[in-house]
Amino acid sequence: MTWGNSGEQPGRPRPWARDGVPVSSSVDLARPVGISLILFAMVPLVILPLSSIFIYGLSKGPVHFWQALMAPAALFSLRLSLMTSAVATVCNVFFGVIAAYVMSKYRFRGSTALMITISLPTAIPTAVAGFALLLLWGRSGLLGQFLERTEYQIMFTTAAIILANIFVTFPLAFGVIKPALDNLDTNYEDAAETMGASRWQTFRYVVLPSLRGAILTGALLTFARSIGEFGSTIMVSGNLPMRTQTAPLYIFTKFNEGDIEGANAIAAVLAALSFVIFSVILLTRGRFDR
Amino acid sequence: MSGALSVRGVSKRFGDEPVLDEVSFSIAEGRSLVLLGHSGSGKTTILRLIAGLEKPDGGEIYLRGRRIDPLRARDRNIGVIFQNYALFPGMTVVENIGFGLRIRGVKRAQWVEAALRLLEMVGLTEQREKYPSQLSGGQQQRVAIARALAYQPAMLLFDESFSALDPQTRVGLRREIRGLLQRLRIPALFITHDQEEAMELGDQVAILNQGRVEQIGTPREIYEHPRTEFVATFLGAANVLTGRWVEGQVLLAEGRQLWVDGGEPARAWRAAQPLKVVFRPEDVQLGAADRHGEEREGQLSLGWGEVLEVAFSGASEWLVVGLHGEETADARSVAVGELRQQDRPVRLKVSRTKWEAHTLRLAPGDRVSVGLRAVQLLVD
Repeated sequence: MTWGNSGEQPGRPRPWARDGVPVSSSVDLARPVGISLILFAMVPLVILPLSSIFIYGLSKGPVHFWQALMAPAALFSLRLSLMTSAVATVCNVFFGVIAAYVMSKYRFRGSTALMITISLPTAIPTAVAGFALLLLWGRSGLLGQFLERTEYQIMFTTAAIILANIFVTFPLAFGVIKPALDNLDTNYEDAAETMGASRWQTFRYVVLPSLRGAILTGALLTFARSIGEFGSTIMVSGNLPMRTQTAPLYIFTKFNEGDIEGANAIAAVLAALSFVIFSVILLTRGRFDR
Repeated sequence: MSGALSVRGVSKRFGDEPVLDEVSFSIAEGRSLVLLGHSGSGKTTILRLIAGLEKPDGGEIYLRGRRIDPLRARDRNIGVIFQNYALFPGMTVVENIGFGLRIRGVKRAQWVEAALRLLEMVGLTEQREKYPSQLSGGQQQRVAIARALAYQPAMLLFDESFSALDPQTRVGLRREIRGLLQRLRIPALFITHDQEEAMELGDQVAILNQGRVEQIGTPREIYEHPRTEFVATFLGAANVLTGRWVEGQVLLAEGRQLWVDGGEPARAWRAAQPLKVVFRPEDVQLGAADRHGEEREGQLSLGWGEVLEVAFSGASEWLVVGLHGEETADARSVAVGELRQQDRPVRLKVSRTKWEAHTLRLAPGDRVSVGLRAVQLLVD
């Protein structure tokens, strides 16, 4: 070696010498205390209420639980919730990707106002959202009065539930996808373009694949939020058993009728489902960020 | 000869800020040009203008005789190797390289075959199924080059492509790329702030300063005959002394006189024309104090100096020699008084080969005679 800079210089302290030594030799209390505090708050506020659903459900024996779950109205409400949530999720992910792309790539007049509008549904109480839909599509509503003359109806149908779900979960997928797009290195798009790719090819082969993680998270969030939607659904669906009664409405109705077991069976399924969804979100996070 | 690439009077401003001011240069077929400049000199903007990622505000760009500045980037058929390579993270090495062909509608079997051939050329066949994040920096750069070559571009652009690599990889890769370009006979433009890189990679080097091309030439021309102080000090180390042209010789601000042949340009110089005297550290010849009065034939003398610092760096020795102005105040004292600007000694950077250092060992405090083997006079 002829370049002197790699040699040892005994007189000067090496800058990394400090790093191996702990900051303080006393025990770090912040860690156990912090963890205990979180658990202390979580147990009565979240963990115990959730556990009670399963404890109650199994206290009368699995047979009872199974029968309550297999009641036709119960199964129907679950299926309806899954279906409407799936449709709302597809719509809002599709919309979310397009909106995120536009809002991330272009600056235009009113883009801030549009940004606020897109995000607004997060802050609107769900009952207000449902009420607004009724005012628009209801029998004497702004658009509903024209529908009234035809044989079509939106309010108190499956379509109303989907509309409400879309409205309420509108910004969720967008909110996850846009930051991912903002953080995407524009060099990738530049590279694709210089290689001859069209705008669409660049989007299809370069941008979209790097949004996989954000799209999955956004979809799961939207789905989870849709499936539990209550406030807007109860306003627009009419809560008709075997027709427009979603799973949360079923729980509410059964509880009001005093059928605790019936309510509990569906509650247990919904709780388990959200547990699965969020496990997937957390476990796949990072998998896509290569 | 207009060359493979010809940039003519290109200007660009971002908002009110001019970034490029009437930049012109050309690259001959199969040759390479290095744009050398500090960050903020506008060199990356030039690359982006040629690639089509920015639009010029004025001027024209021609590639193989075809005007390309109105074209979209994707229609220009130029290969770009980005600073961080911009390899698509979700695609394997083969998919990355084949991308340019794939979007041109080439069948899978064919683009895979082409990609494998290029991978073999850059020596990465074993990495074909890996993802970019699993490769080292040097491997990523090879993939980026293979990817840019896959669709047979009319030229290659390298954007600071070596700055992220460790020094040893960098040197090796530079040689390889130089060889590769010579074999493929493809014109290339390199953007860098690294002068060593510029010397090695460029058939021609263009020095960019604040959006203007200060000088274009072969590395040797620019090193030996810099036309501005910026060029002299940017490409290699240089000493710059200020002075005036007085009766056929240079009178230095430090109060020394220097007999220099001004050559052809000197005829246009007026009396007391301000000048800069530029010379390289290796152009300085130091002599022992006991050989007083001895002047070598064809060598310019700066008189006496004092060794201030000595540093050994293997093949050569670096010194700082101080010139004290007052020592040499001479008959032209009127002019000298006018020109003397500073009280502190002028510090000259000097380099000597190992063998020169052996012949005359010097330590700080030694008195030496200072001669110059070559100087360049610049009009201030």
